[in-house]
Amino acid sequence: MTGRVPLFEAEGIVMRFGGVVALRKVSVTQFEGETLGMIGPNGSGKTTFVNVVTGHLAPQEGRVRVAGAEVTGFRPHRMAAAGITRTYQAVRVFRELTVADNIATATVDAPNRMDADEIAATLDWLQLGHRLAVPAGSLTLFEQRRLEILMRLVQRARLIMLDEPVGGLSATEVRAMLQVLGDLRRRTGLFVIEHAMKVIRELADSVVVMLAGEKLMQGTPAEILADKRVVDQYLGRAHA
Amino acid sequence: MPTELVLISTLFTGLMLGVIFSLVAAGVTIIYGSIWMPNAANGQFFLLAALALWSAAVSWGLHPVVAALLVIGASVPASLLLEQMLIRRFYDVPNRNVSYFVLSLGITQILAGLFSVTYGVWSDQFQIPPLMAGITFLGPFPVSNSRLAALVTGVALLAALFALLRYHKYGRAIRAVFQNRDAASLRGVNVRAIYRLSFVLGNLVVAAGGVLYAFAYSFDLSVSWSMSITAFAIMIIGGPGSVVGAVAVGMVFGFTQAIVSAFASPTVATFSYLGAMLLILLMKPSGLFAR
Amino acid sequence: MTDALRKHGRGLLVFAVAAYALPLLLAGNRYFAFIGGIALLHVVWTAGMSLLYGYAGLMPLMFAGIAGISAYAAVGLMAAGFAFWTALPVAALFAALVGVGLGLPALRLKGFYFTLCSLVIQTVITLAFVYFVNLTNGDTGISQIAPPAWFGGPLQGVGFDLVLATLAVGAMVALVLIVEAPFGRRLVAVREDDELAEMLGIDVVRQKLAAFFVGSLFAAVGGAFYAPYVGFVSPRSFDVLLSLNIWLMVAFGGRGTIWGAVVGTVLLAPLPFLLQDYYKVKDVIYGLLIIGVIVLLPGGILGGLGSRAAAGTGTQSPGLRRKEAA
Ligand SMILES: Nc1ncnc2c1ncn2[C@@H]1O[C@H](COP(=O)(O)OP(=O)(O)OP(=O)(O)O)[C@@H](O)[C@H]1O
Ligand SMILES: [Mg+2]
Repeated sequence: MTGRVPLFEAEGIVMRFGGVVALRKVSVTQFEGETLGMIGPNGSGKTTFVNVVTGHLAPQEGRVRVAGAEVTGFRPHRMAAAGITRTYQAVRVFRELTVADNIATATVDAPNRMDADEIAATLDWLQLGHRLAVPAGSLTLFEQRRLEILMRLVQRARLIMLDEPVGGLSATEVRAMLQVLGDLRRRTGLFVIEHAMKVIRELADSVVVMLAGEKLMQGTPAEILADKRVVDQYLGRAHA
Repeated sequence: MPTELVLISTLFTGLMLGVIFSLVAAGVTIIYGSIWMPNAANGQFFLLAALALWSAAVSWGLHPVVAALLVIGASVPASLLLEQMLIRRFYDVPNRNVSYFVLSLGITQILAGLFSVTYGVWSDQFQIPPLMAGITFLGPFPVSNSRLAALVTGVALLAALFALLRYHKYGRAIRAVFQNRDAASLRGVNVRAIYRLSFVLGNLVVAAGGVLYAFAYSFDLSVSWSMSITAFAIMIIGGPGSVVGAVAVGMVFGFTQAIVSAFASPTVATFSYLGAMLLILLMKPSGLFAR
Repeated sequence: MTDALRKHGRGLLVFAVAAYALPLLLAGNRYFAFIGGIALLHVVWTAGMSLLYGYAGLMPLMFAGIAGISAYAAVGLMAAGFAFWTALPVAALFAALVGVGLGLPALRLKGFYFTLCSLVIQTVITLAFVYFVNLTNGDTGISQIAPPAWFGGPLQGVGFDLVLATLAVGAMVALVLIVEAPFGRRLVAVREDDELAEMLGIDVVRQKLAAFFVGSLFAAVGGAFYAPYVGFVSPRSFDVLLSLNIWLMVAFGGRGTIWGAVVGTVLLAPLPFLLQDYYKVKDVIYGLLIIGVIVLLPGGILGGLGSRAAAGTGTQSPGLRRKEAA
């Protein structure tokens, strides 16, 4: 059903921090039109994987390719130019700048940015239009998370890697965020790290399960939830 | 024979300077390691102690030993006052090291201004009456007993500092804070009290360095800035927060200075410290002795 | 570009009128006119520091050193027979490039480490001024620097003051154009959170480098004019205290505000001259002000006025502002 065009291909990624091996030969490919999920216990290397793919960390071994071209070790600004972007586990916006300035900053070096009308429409959709003049630091967490997404959308990112997008949100907000993400996946490629299985189940076409820096398995949400190792290693403990 | 003389004299000077550098750098690194304050005013504090000693011993005519104890003792209430007025305001500020750095540059400027309109007017060179009379021969090399006493005292102070940090419960608490503030506070260490203690201890060691320097050498007001830079270089190279690093690199610097000034101008020594510090900053900002 | 001029047009106009009026009003008293000229010269410097500190969030303590390299280079070129107007661009460009060359490795460092590194570099430059006696005449300095030629005669008195006024106005126009351009927005992003800025596609190292070059150019142009205006240069003229004081003028007026730096300069630059015999007391006053700014006025005196840039005054990046209670 998809054209099977890869958004990114990560191959045999090894990332060590001193003695700690955070990623051991991890290979993941995400195709256009597909939403990829990633789950795994704390410290299993999920954030590190995103850091490698988006250029925050240069892996000791392995390769990252985007649109067929090797981009391993490229700095994040070049990854952004290639349309690969991410959000942070702890929400991150320019707190002292207004929402409008945050958005303007996101477009300043985006070659493929939206025009003003499209931005206005996206603002409406994310319900941030009335907050433009407010310093981003005084938005609610949920609003800040939406602003983070908005700042990637105005760049017309091809892939947004979301690091725990519902972390810290209330139950109502989680539902609202799920709705936002459900729409978002029709607009752009999504890669979602989450502990909340509900989010993964609703969004992901395919899920990568990480364990201690290794890719334990990959499959549809139904497949991984049926796997005994996943239930033992991860869900059993997370739900305990 | 002259070679031997040069050798011993260089060795002695290296040891003397090394001990003083080590003391000052240890004081600076203790303060940086705990409260994260890169105190650029350390050279001014060092000079303040030396000048205060001069006032007490020369102007007031106190016995040099009494004067020395008085000056080092007075650093404690002075540090507490400064901590109370300025330093503690920043304990919770993120990235406070830049604020502290600028703050200490401000203090540097104030003290430099004050010294130049007071002591600078009174004299250009300051000399303290000797601690004790007589000279001792180290082989062919004559050393004044006063300078020898300063060296022995300096070594004893360094040893005492190490003992304090290693064996005393306050010293262990300070080192726990160096390693990990949060873990230390979880283990029941009163972090703020340790901050205050480190600030006092660090400045006391710096003051002791100034006092010993004044006994060993005559000095002028320009010693402050070169001491600041040297102590910073030692701290950065040794690894900020590492007392072992400060002492090891301090000794190396002392010998370097002694050797270089025996053959070239002191500017060359300063250039080489700065070059070494720049190199470390760029290659390994955590320093050579980083934990 | 026109937007920027429209937005700050009134401010620029007021500043230009004041800058040109100052030398004319003070023309009767050469000493006061000289102080006015020095203040105008400092505006050039604080404009550069404002770009570096106020917008890019860098605190370059080597700023004075770069000005000094330019000043010595200009004097050297003039001594070699070149006209000031030839020496000026060569010296300024040379100094700015040296500044970038020296600062290049430091730009990878952040916060305190960058500032410390810049202090080390400043110290090296000062030592070099003292050490290379045949180029700089060492501690003694170089005096009786000839004034630039101007339409056949020497540029002196009110004429020179008016040239400095033009320079100051030019510096402010340049600053306005720079910070209102996309470049200014990138710098603010780098100042606020360089990692996030990088993630959003901004080439952080390149922006810092560009800011450093432009800021150094301001320092260098000011330095090249300083030499013939004051007629004397020595290593002391360009030591770390000058860097610190220029920083103070920016921070005191309000970082990240265009006009705060000017206000800070006008209030602080004349101070040492007004104190005359108590010249050294200036150090004490500046030192107290530095502490005051850090402790009491982290946003500077214009920091509270709510312009866009002022909203970004306190950032965590150089961390000169205390954590907001809110
Ligand atoms: N910059 C770093 N320096 C040193 N170690 C790191 C660094 N980043 C990650 N690690 C280590 O790598 C391992 C993987 O961490 P990572 O943050 O990728 O886990 P995670 O799966 O995202 O966990 P969580 O669910 O808690 O977010 C951990 O042991 C962590 O301590
Ligand atoms: Mg994570």
